[in-house]
This record gives sequence, structure tokens and C-alpha cells, in this order.
Amino acid sequence: MKKITAYCRITDRQVILNGKEPDIAFSGEPGSSRLTEIYRYLDAGYPKFHKMDNLSKAGFLASEMVLRALDYDRETPDGSTSVVFANKSASLDDDKRFQATINPDNYYPSPSVFVYTLPNIVTGEVAIRNKIHGETSFFILEDFDAEKMHTFIEWAFSSPGINRVLCGWTEYLDNHCDVLVMMVEKESPKGMDYNILNINQLYLN
Amino acid sequence: MEELILELKKQIIEALNLEDITPDDIDTNAPLFVEGLGLDSIDALELIVLMEKNYGIKLEDPGKSKEIFKSVATMAEYIEKNRTK
Repeated sequence: MKKITAYCRITDRQVILNGKEPDIAFSGEPGSSRLTEIYRYLDAGYPKFHKMDNLSKAGFLASEMVLRALDYDRETPDGSTSVVFANKSASLDDDKRFQATINPDNYYPSPSVFVYTLPNIVTGEVAIRNKIHGETSFFILEDFDAEKMHTFIEWAFSSPGINRVLCGWTEYLDNHCDVLVMMVEKESPKGMDYNILNINQLYLN
Repeated sequence: MEELILELKKQIIEALNLEDITPDDIDTNAPLFVEGLGLDSIDALELIVLMEKNYGIKLEDPGKSKEIFKSVATMAEYIEKNRTK
């Protein structure tokens, strides 16, 4: 029976890892600077983080916490894990940033902002960081929908050799962060049952 | 030249979001790519934009980029000779 073996929730109000609030001292308002505070708390030592857009930062941080909680071995290439994320606003947060760099009077669109104008980049960032070689996918939904996400996760498990799916909701727009990242494992003796009800509960709590 | 090198280091830090790095941390003669600052191809594009935006230099011969972006010193040298602003 599949289990949710770890989860992380990041919202404007709080960070929750497996039901507990890590002791992160936030000094600023919700938004990009708060993501940097979480990064510093994690002491992740990954300078590329600072170049990411906010959506990728949020997905990266939640994934980082989930994988650390599971003592995930990020040094060994892993073809048995997939990454499946979804959200509502796609990459609109970065799209707007990119649009702001397109000024007809001072025309210097930023290449490094442009590369994040696709929502699935976050799945790639997480896969690269953790040497995850399974399939990655990103879905855009009208709203958080545990039933649809359950279907996407099941699709990922139907690929041969996939035993784990790092999955969830990674929404970021206009300084508002709404993220739930979970690890679902095919065969694990511990963890909570993987079903639509529990996905909903983790999101709503 | 020293002033231009310092200015360039500050601009590189800002353009490439090199958080936690100060101008003093950047070795003027160290390679910018792979080793040294470990920049990538997207960073190279940002440096091309930086040269045009801040110094009015359009790099029209991609073959020259490797030499120009070898280090902060080579960038500064090229800017000194070719700047239009």
C-alpha cells in the first residue's frame, strides 16, 4: 500500500515539516525574502538557488526539506523517483518579472529571468539538485484538486521502475506562496496512507 | 582601470544574483566560467546584455566571446578599448 512518507507545507503564514514547525526566525514580510530566510535556515549551500525564480525557490525549498527528512541520497543518480508538481498560476509570477524587463525605451530583456518563464522548470531544478532521473511533469489546474493530483501521481507510478513520487502543489504569485510537497512511496512500512482524503487534509491543515 | 574593475565586479554580482559574494571575493584574473565563479551559458547571455546596457558594446562576433569573458580582467580590458558610453 502506498504511503506519504514525508511532507512539507509552505504558506505565507508558516512552514510545516511532517506536522512540526521548524524553528525559522522570519524577520520580513511574506515573499521572496522569506524564501531566502528558509534557504539560510537550511544552510543548503546551493548558490544556484539565488538565480531561481520564486516558484522554483518555493518548490526547491519544500523538496529540500522533504528529502532531508527522508535522508535521501542525492549523490547517487536515481531512476526510481519521479517528480510531479501542479499549480494554478503556472509561471505567471516570473512572466510578469520578465515583461517588466521589456522596456521599449531601454530594451534589455533579461535572459536569466526568461529561462524561468515555464512552470515546469521547478521540476527540473529539483531533479538536477537531487540527481532524480525519473520522469518529471507539471500540471496546471484551476485550483488545488487532490483528486486530479492523485490521478497524476498514479500515472507517474505506472511508469516501469518508479517506486517513489515527489509530488505536490507549488503555487507562487505576487509574493503569495502556497506549497505542499509530499513524497509518496510504493512500499513503505511507515507513513500515512496515500489517498485523496489525506492529500486534502495535508493541504488544508 | 582599477576603478573599472571594481565597478564591473559590482555589476556582475548584481546582474547574476551572486548572493553572499563581494567584489573582494572575485579574483580579477580567475576564470569566470566552469572554475572560478562557475558561471553557465545563461550567465554568459547576462554578461552580453550587461556589456551592451552599461557600456554600449554590441558583441557581434560570438567567436570573440571566449577571450573577452575569460576573466574580469579581460572583460575590463575589452570594455576600456571599445566602450561607447
